[in-house]
Amino acid sequence: MKITYKHFLWLLSFTIMSGSLHAALKVETTTQDLAAIAKAVGGEHIHVHSLTPGTRDPHFAAAKPSMIRKVYSADLLVVVGADMEIGWLPPLLQSARNSRVQPGNSGYLDLSEAVPLLGKIQGPVSRDMGDVHAKGNPHYWLDPRNGIRMANAIALRLGQLDPEHVTEYQKNVELFEKTLNTKLQGWKKTLQHLKGKPVIAYHRSFIYLAEAFGFRIVDEVEPKPGITPSAASLAKLITRIKNEQIDLLIMEPYYERRSARYLKEKTGLHIAVIPQSVGAQEGITTYVDLFDNIVSALKVRGVN
Amino acid sequence: MFQLKYSHLSMTLVSGLLAFYSNSVSAAEAKESAQEPLELRQQIERLQQDYQSQIDALKKRLDEGHSSSVTNSSQQSSSLRIGLSGLFAAGGSSVDNATLANLQAGGHDPKQNGFTLQNVELSIAGTVDNYLDAQANLIYLMNPKGETIMELEEAFFTTRNLPGGLQIKGGQYYTEFGRQNKQHPHTWGFVDQPVILSRFFGGDGLRSQGARVSWLMPTDTYSELTLGMQNPKGETVTSFLNAAGEDIGGYTLTDRRARNSSDLLYSARWLSGIDLSDNLSMNVGISGLWGPNASGLTTDTEILGADLYLKWQSAYSQKGYPFVAWHSEFLQRRYEAGDVAREVLKDQGYFTQVLWGFKPGWVAGLRWEDAKADGNTSTDTLRDNRQRLSPNLTWYTSEYSKVRLQYNRDWAEHLPNKTADSVWLQVEFSLGSHMAHTF
Repeated sequence: MKITYKHFLWLLSFTIMSGSLHAALKVETTTQDLAAIAKAVGGEHIHVHSLTPGTRDPHFAAAKPSMIRKVYSADLLVVVGADMEIGWLPPLLQSARNSRVQPGNSGYLDLSEAVPLLGKIQGPVSRDMGDVHAKGNPHYWLDPRNGIRMANAIALRLGQLDPEHVTEYQKNVELFEKTLNTKLQGWKKTLQHLKGKPVIAYHRSFIYLAEAFGFRIVDEVEPKPGITPSAASLAKLITRIKNEQIDLLIMEPYYERRSARYLKEKTGLHIAVIPQSVGAQEGITTYVDLFDNIVSALKVRGVN
Repeated sequence: MFQLKYSHLSMTLVSGLLAFYSNSVSAAEAKESAQEPLELRQQIERLQQDYQSQIDALKKRLDEGHSSSVTNSSQQSSSLRIGLSGLFAAGGSSVDNATLANLQAGGHDPKQNGFTLQNVELSIAGTVDNYLDAQANLIYLMNPKGETIMELEEAFFTTRNLPGGLQIKGGQYYTEFGRQNKQHPHTWGFVDQPVILSRFFGGDGLRSQGARVSWLMPTDTYSELTLGMQNPKGETVTSFLNAAGEDIGGYTLTDRRARNSSDLLYSARWLSGIDLSDNLSMNVGISGLWGPNASGLTTDTEILGADLYLKWQSAYSQKGYPFVAWHSEFLQRRYEAGDVAREVLKDQGYFTQVLWGFKPGWVAGLRWEDAKADGNTSTDTLRDNRQRLSPNLTWYTSEYSKVRLQYNRDWAEHLPNKTADSVWLQVEFSLGSHMAHTF
């Protein structure tokens, strides 16, 4: 084949294109929350992609082949940790054959190590206790103050992997922190009425949200984490709701609504369906969006 | 000629791998020792100091963000994963135990009226070092005579660090052929093994000692090519150098040994994975096996297969439900039998199954199977015309246990009444490490 000028140009543009692709760090995250924070910090200098969508419970994902391809080419893998991804990340990492992102290496960032975890189990842990995480409750992104910690940990790692853009990462994380701190004042004000109030949650996943906004989660619809409620466990809960005059039930969009509706019917309490993650509902694309939506779901009670 | 080609192929493969590895190492060294002008080097050093101070500033911010209560140990989830799973069945059939043993040809199938301990599996897995991961699976089962059988089902390593998307696996392991052969009984969607797999790969699936290299191809979507070589001899390599005295298509097998590289079992598999939408994923695979068989001294076997797997999962799924998974495999075998009056035995079959997770923890399944062979095979329990329909219902009580009820309707030429009906109840428990969620 004769190499023509056209071929040469095509080759050149291809080389430039692949070069510019290489310039940006490829960041894979296990959830959309982590992707949103990474995007806020990394800006245009990183390509971010989340392995699971925010509409699903990240604990129950399965290692799809398409994920293998994504993790193989990643420069940085950001995970929730605290056993959140235990069902699918170990086999995924084994098939992905990318040593950069193996635990212990610089391309693996476990954010559960950057935040103070709540709900650590003291004493012996038994599977009889349901789906408990001995290392601590992994839903920590639901406290905006943890969001700031996560952003800082991501910024540090991005700076180490890509020192050329460390100034921008620092600028971005400062802006992120400032925005979030300002927003947090407003959110707290809006949810002032919840302060000290007893609340029922469907699953043990809102303890960080309660911590951030000062309400108390006194019980869960699930009798034990991950265990489907029974008629007997619901009857017990109804008594408690009536005795303690509990007014609010909060739950993720992906749980069955029948138990909640039943409790509402029997006791008149309000149900707030809370988007638990970026991407859980349309229009939630940033970490700030997430709390805007959570706060408005908690503010307007009795919608359901 | 064949022999030359195969040994040549393996030589090229190994030497190519070595060359690739040493090239990438020496390239890195060369880069480091490249002599740069002094000035440039000083500039770079200054820049690096700048970066370092900024990174230190970021570190400081992170430390400030920490409350003093952060004491999360940075330990990784324990380096060794140990688990034990037990699989039990109870049930009965319209045919007697002797007939049932032929009908349920899988080594872990329930195959007697009453109770069966199908499979107790001890699995140990972990990272060996910077270079290797390793895994061993020990199986305990009880045969209809009540004897306990222990098997070293698998014990293999996989590499962690090879460049170019390559990975080598070595040891004793399930051959990567189709989708189901590699799966362990406790992850199956049905209580028993598909008929066509029992026919071609025997009761325990196709597994042997050997090595394989797999290549994650540099395509946008997932595409993986696997080439392997394994010992062709033993009870777990049924269509090849199966144990002497066994019988395939009326030919008694001899004690043929693998004498040179052309007598090994060669396998190839290509698997591609595509996300058709956010909620729908597809796997398509083709596989091939080539090796000697023990019906003669110069006889060979070829097995080809194609598999398709489609999984839909709701956008808003709770614990992974609801979902629909459709899994189908088609296999055919060409078996050269006998040295003197050579006959070519041709067998084929398929199974297609749908699993519908209709609410958290609940899965309804339906499987249809068909297997047949050329020639007059009506009395051969492993080559006759055979169909099976199996509806079932599974309740996953938690991530660690399940209860399954399955009905089998068999149509088989070798049966006295041509049909059989069986009902099986299965219970599984698992202890120890969190098991992987299967896709």
